[in-house]
Amino acid sequence: MPRTGSGVFFDGVTSARHDVMVELGPDALRVVASAGAVLAEWRYTELARLAAHEGVLRLGRVGNDVLARLEIRDGEFAAAINRAVPDLDRTDAAERRRRKSIVVLSMAAMASLVLLAVFGVPLLASQLTPFVPQIVERRLGEAVDTQVRSMLDKGRLGTRFECGTADAEKPGRAALDRLVAKLAASAGLQVPLAVAVVRRREPNAIALPGGHIYVFQGLVAKADSADELAGVLAHEVGHIAHRDGTRAVLQAAGLSLLFGMLLGDFVGGGAVVVAARTVLQSSYSRDVEAAADTYGVGLMAKIGGNPRALATMLSKIEPTEPALKILLDHPETKDRVDAINAAAPPGSSAALLDPADWAALKRICAAR
Amino acid sequence: MTAPDVFASHPPIADPFAVKPQARFLGSERVLWWLLARGAVLVALTLGIYRFWLATDTRRYLWSNTEIVGSSLEYTGTALELLIGFLIAIAVLVPVYGAFFIAALDLGLIGKLSGTLAFLLLLLFGQFAVYRARRYRLTRTLYRGVYCNQDGSGWLYALRAWGWWLVVVLSLGLLYPWAQASLERYKMRHTFYGDLQGHFDGRGGQLFLRGLTMWLVIMGPPIAGVAFSLIAVDWPALAIELQRGGDRLEKSSPAALAQLSAFTIAIGWSMIAAVVLYPAFQAVILRWWLSGIRLGALEVTSKLRTGPIYTTYLRFLGYVLLFILLLVVALLVGIGLGWAAGFSPTSKGGQAVASVVAVVVYVALILGCSTIYQVVVKRSLWRFGVESLVFTGLNALDAVKVKGRPSSAFGEGLADALNVGGL
Repeated sequence: MPRTGSGVFFDGVTSARHDVMVELGPDALRVVASAGAVLAEWRYTELARLAAHEGVLRLGRVGNDVLARLEIRDGEFAAAINRAVPDLDRTDAAERRRRKSIVVLSMAAMASLVLLAVFGVPLLASQLTPFVPQIVERRLGEAVDTQVRSMLDKGRLGTRFECGTADAEKPGRAALDRLVAKLAASAGLQVPLAVAVVRRREPNAIALPGGHIYVFQGLVAKADSADELAGVLAHEVGHIAHRDGTRAVLQAAGLSLLFGMLLGDFVGGGAVVVAARTVLQSSYSRDVEAAADTYGVGLMAKIGGNPRALATMLSKIEPTEPALKILLDHPETKDRVDAINAAAPPGSSAALLDPADWAALKRICAAR
Repeated sequence: MTAPDVFASHPPIADPFAVKPQARFLGSERVLWWLLARGAVLVALTLGIYRFWLATDTRRYLWSNTEIVGSSLEYTGTALELLIGFLIAIAVLVPVYGAFFIAALDLGLIGKLSGTLAFLLLLLFGQFAVYRARRYRLTRTLYRGVYCNQDGSGWLYALRAWGWWLVVVLSLGLLYPWAQASLERYKMRHTFYGDLQGHFDGRGGQLFLRGLTMWLVIMGPPIAGVAFSLIAVDWPALAIELQRGGDRLEKSSPAALAQLSAFTIAIGWSMIAAVVLYPAFQAVILRWWLSGIRLGALEVTSKLRTGPIYTTYLRFLGYVLLFILLLVVALLVGIGLGWAAGFSPTSKGGQAVASVVAVVVYVALILGCSTIYQVVVKRSLWRFGVESLVFTGLNALDAVKVKGRPSSAFGEGLADALNVGGL
């Protein structure tokens, strides 16, 4: 086994290249210049093997600000150094062990982040929602309203997005207002209700923070009585009473922060963030929808309408396009229908609107 | 460099530098495939945390396999530094994002402008990050025991870059060469190898002349189309017709309809031409950039050829298609097995499984394509770039003294958080 060999030395102060002899001592290696001067003496315990291409053993000193380097190209001598200094980690075994613990720890950290996202964020959002002042909620509502309107309004030039504004539609609007007034009087909300029917074909309705409700034209078309429409409205009023919109905004903000910022954008994972958010939010929404259903049943009973009408309406709109389920969507419809029918108090009810009003309401989007 | 026939007749014995190319790339593709494929799996498993280690490994591979006149570079940065830099960047960015979130709720002027303002500010942050990340990488680049460095102000650079990009956009890309030359001059003027100061000798005019044909091929047709339609179309009549709903467009202004289809064709032409010419563009830029680099008296010339760059991109395209095919086959087999096991995608659990599968497929697609890109395109560009270099005045490198101190990885972290990261 050779105790000396040739190498190239860089002293870490200038870029001069020194062709040197390297001598392996009992506990240190000595770097000797061709003229015989000792350029460096490094103890084995402070040696570090550094990144280099294949066939080169590159050595440096651990924890030293002067980045001196010794390069050995002689394979036999490099093997001798490795034998003299077992800690050099020629096979990267120690590095692999370190990597493994990093991977395991990161996975544990990520698991706890996911748990935080699934349980912590909704809990936190629910706890914080009651402390959001009404004024902030209304501002939030108006900001979201602008956004939602621009998303939904795909109408052509010249047609109005909102129904009930043309002369032929005004009686319908008046009928809707009477229905909404009945609901609002019994609901006792802290924010004013603002209901609008809009020109969208899907049978759907959405509630925004701050009291805005959008009923889609398709839903009015599918409703066979004022009670069925009122049932859906009562459900949406439930969302407003429970401040679900505000909570959803808080949740979305929390999740974006968690996934978008902390994880960084790993190779353009923006879509992963959105996907994760959609999956998580739809799982949050199940309980929220059930709670709104219960509220809706109670409200319908209070105003003397048919509490089961919401269930009828739900079974009617269920089989339509699955892509649109994100909005009205919700837990399995059959479960909801059963729950509503179970919660509805027995007894008959009077119609909420007289036939003339209901006929007018059906024509709320009549004009173009 | 010596002529190849001389190389063949005289085996290298006396002076190794007389026959070897001055710069070589020694890394095999197989090693990088293994490194990046394994890394991609770990990145997915750790939801991204492993990326700092992967980036460090990749840089080590590139640096230490780059040999310039007999000595290879060394990357001395560590993954932990990148992680800490990222955490600091998060600490800085969270309040900024928070402020914008609150500002967006404001219904007045601030709320309306907050989106634009955030975009412009993050653009500025991004350029700052690019500059500071460059500094981090330079101070972690060791050659012959001496590391590189960069001074200058990140904010000044960011403002410059910001202003230039505005100019480039407004000039439809025509002023891009001068923007590049100006920014590169700033960067290289503040770049040091030890105490050896760099500068940049590339001129915007040169790059402009080399790229003008490409610009004309890509931008010419749509610009001509717009110019022509400005003259030919009866705009007031068209506006009135659109107000009415646009049902009788072809009757009222047939010229507009013809223009519209001509314009669509022109845009399509532009996009196809841009894709086809992209490798040539890359070659022009790379050759121009490398040939402008100066370190003291050391001059660099690049003899990069365009053909290999095209081969590289074709190879990339081939691998990506193959990968997608494999993914589709795997997906179909999976669906088949699920179906055979009596699994229904419409059931309660089925939807959850379907969305999980969708996320997995998406992540696999993104990470797979990114891995293929890094191995095939990035490595080849690096290799061709290195191997095309010819140096004059090499003895400028012989007596360089160490100067400066290592910088923090904050810039890298910011670049990562803002998704403007380089390597």
